[in-house]
Amino acid sequence: MMQRKAQKIKFGIFDFTDCEGCQVKLVALRERLLALLARVDIVNWRLGQDKGRMDFFNVVLIEGSPVTPAEVDLLKVLRERSECLIGFGTCATMGGIPAIMDQKERAKWYRIIYGPKYKPRGIDALPLTSYVPMDFLIHGCPVDENEIVRIVEELLSGKSPSFRGYSVCFHCKLAGNPCRLINGQPCLGPITQGGCGAICVSGGSPCYACFGIRDTAQIEGLLTILKVITDNEEIERYFSMFLRHTKEYKEIVRPFMEK
Amino acid sequence: MPKQMTESLTPLNGISELTKPFPAGKAQKTASNSLITRIEGHGSVHMDWEKRTIKLQVTEGERLFEGLLVGRTAEEVHWITPRICGVCPIAHNMAAVKAVEDALGITPNPTTIILRRLMMAGQMIQSHVLHLFFLVLPDYIGLDRATDLAAKDPKAFQRALRLKEVADEIAACVAGRNVHPTTTAVGGFHKLPDKEALEKLLKMLKKTSPDTSWTAGFFTSLPYPELDAGLELLSLKGGDGYSVYNGDTIASGRDEEMSVRKYKEAIAEEVRDYSTAKFGSYKRREVMVGALARISINGNKLTARAKRFIKGLDFNNPFHNNSAQAIEILHFHQEAMELIEMLLSEGMNKTIACPAKNPPLKGIGAIEAPRGGLYLEVHLSGERKVTYANIVTPTVQNLTSLEKSAQALLERNSDSSKKKIRQLINMLIRAYDPCLTCSVH
Repeated sequence: MMQRKAQKIKFGIFDFTDCEGCQVKLVALRERLLALLARVDIVNWRLGQDKGRMDFFNVVLIEGSPVTPAEVDLLKVLRERSECLIGFGTCATMGGIPAIMDQKERAKWYRIIYGPKYKPRGIDALPLTSYVPMDFLIHGCPVDENEIVRIVEELLSGKSPSFRGYSVCFHCKLAGNPCRLINGQPCLGPITQGGCGAICVSGGSPCYACFGIRDTAQIEGLLTILKVITDNEEIERYFSMFLRHTKEYKEIVRPFMEK
Repeated sequence: MPKQMTESLTPLNGISELTKPFPAGKAQKTASNSLITRIEGHGSVHMDWEKRTIKLQVTEGERLFEGLLVGRTAEEVHWITPRICGVCPIAHNMAAVKAVEDALGITPNPTTIILRRLMMAGQMIQSHVLHLFFLVLPDYIGLDRATDLAAKDPKAFQRALRLKEVADEIAACVAGRNVHPTTTAVGGFHKLPDKEALEKLLKMLKKTSPDTSWTAGFFTSLPYPELDAGLELLSLKGGDGYSVYNGDTIASGRDEEMSVRKYKEAIAEEVRDYSTAKFGSYKRREVMVGALARISINGNKLTARAKRFIKGLDFNNPFHNNSAQAIEILHFHQEAMELIEMLLSEGMNKTIACPAKNPPLKGIGAIEAPRGGLYLEVHLSGERKVTYANIVTPTVQNLTSLEKSAQALLERNSDSSKKKIRQLINMLIRAYDPCLTCSVH
């Protein structure tokens, strides 16, 4: 029995600066969370338990964006001590909503919000990959319950997790949603990784690509359509909601808009 | 100062050596920096055993929401602000639609108001169940983690899961998702729940009704530590029912009520060098906001079943905020059923209300979030882009009162061991249900 316990996968759940909504999603798994907890040894989870150790981890989920220097330091230590480091939610994987603002703007807003005497603690809101290499990214603002289960199951069975092989459009077709683009409303669904169930579009909201950009996405094709529907300013607002720190935004979207 | 005189209160959680004190230098002498477990967001407690003083240091990184809203459209405000807090996203979403509607002179139809009140009921139950069972309960029954309750008392744990499920279901059914709404719009809803979904939800609520009475009975009879903190309690008042969605005045019970339009005069925020969260006060006095305050101000509006549990509440003891939350679970659960019955019998109007001709372009959205009064002010340009945003969260208001109550707790228990005091202070912090994530925003 002891030996079996010792073989349990050492699991850590950490959170940096964020809304903690992805951990709320984890708790919302309810019975399925219990099944997960039975299979792993949670050695560190600040939100969930008192006990916390910093030894070696097989798997670490990190929620949030490392905004403060202390968080950046902790991220680097976790990288050294983890076999498999996983970004959990869009703040971790792409910087999330706080990354709408760049570093220069941050300096201005620190003064306006906190006054001139305040010494800021944060440096910048960037994705985890800006500081260390990551083993996998679970996107979503917030993450989707079924995706958590699917990906963690793959991990626990020794596989490398993978992304869904389709875009948000696939979900929209299944849900019977009218196509936003055909109706002249901007949408980033065609270039966005599936897995979300098109939950935002189904609810009547736009898709801002919080699940990240697909590997084979035809970004220029979508931009061409968007230019017909709306102006550069609105296109920029859509892409800057979650994607500002992606390679595609810098290499494809910005140059296209400046054309 | 001798090193052993100062220390951090919480279990180290392993990462103290990795976090830097803030501000560098001064704080280093008085504390190591370890995070309080089982609360939303990042903070630590600093005790000076010699001077017998306590400071609450919030270390959450600044996200500067008030800045990043500027330039965004009126329709994007309620999309962005829920991301301030994943535990009470519906409250932020509601404050945002209300602020923008106020700025654009929009009056939503009655169906919209009922649906929003239903969402808020779900939000309250979601947040309170998570807080009470998941974060608080381990303190009182000697567990390290709430899920250990599954083995220790499976029946109680099943009740917690059922309540979490039904609350998430309300949010999913009306708001489109359990975390971060997708269906809400300025002026109404993009999509209304269908009749079948509401009937199913009503059935689920009826089935879980005994769990809410049990929860209220259980949490109102836990052995809370005694403390007279001389609390002043502050809540919104007026509007429909229990004043959560559309209370229009700020009431403390000690002096004259103030219109929510004067929230800035009423509630001041102070920047302190040891915290990334500001510290709030009401007319320069420390006030506690949240469930206990709401019951003290609006208790006469609770359902009859919920009222039965009020008798034992001590409005000077912040630990009783836990009891008050449990009573509110019972209240909002009943209110949710009543609201659904209204929707089913009256039918639903899906019209999205339009802006007025010459709107003021400045608006305030005030709401009782699970942790207390939440205020969002927005100013819009003629093109309907945000030019100014100000957010006052409940936890900012609570932090000042929390420090004062911690001081009172320390004085009352001066003969206790440091370990015992540490434990009590952590329990006190959890009773305030701080959302440090919200407080920094």
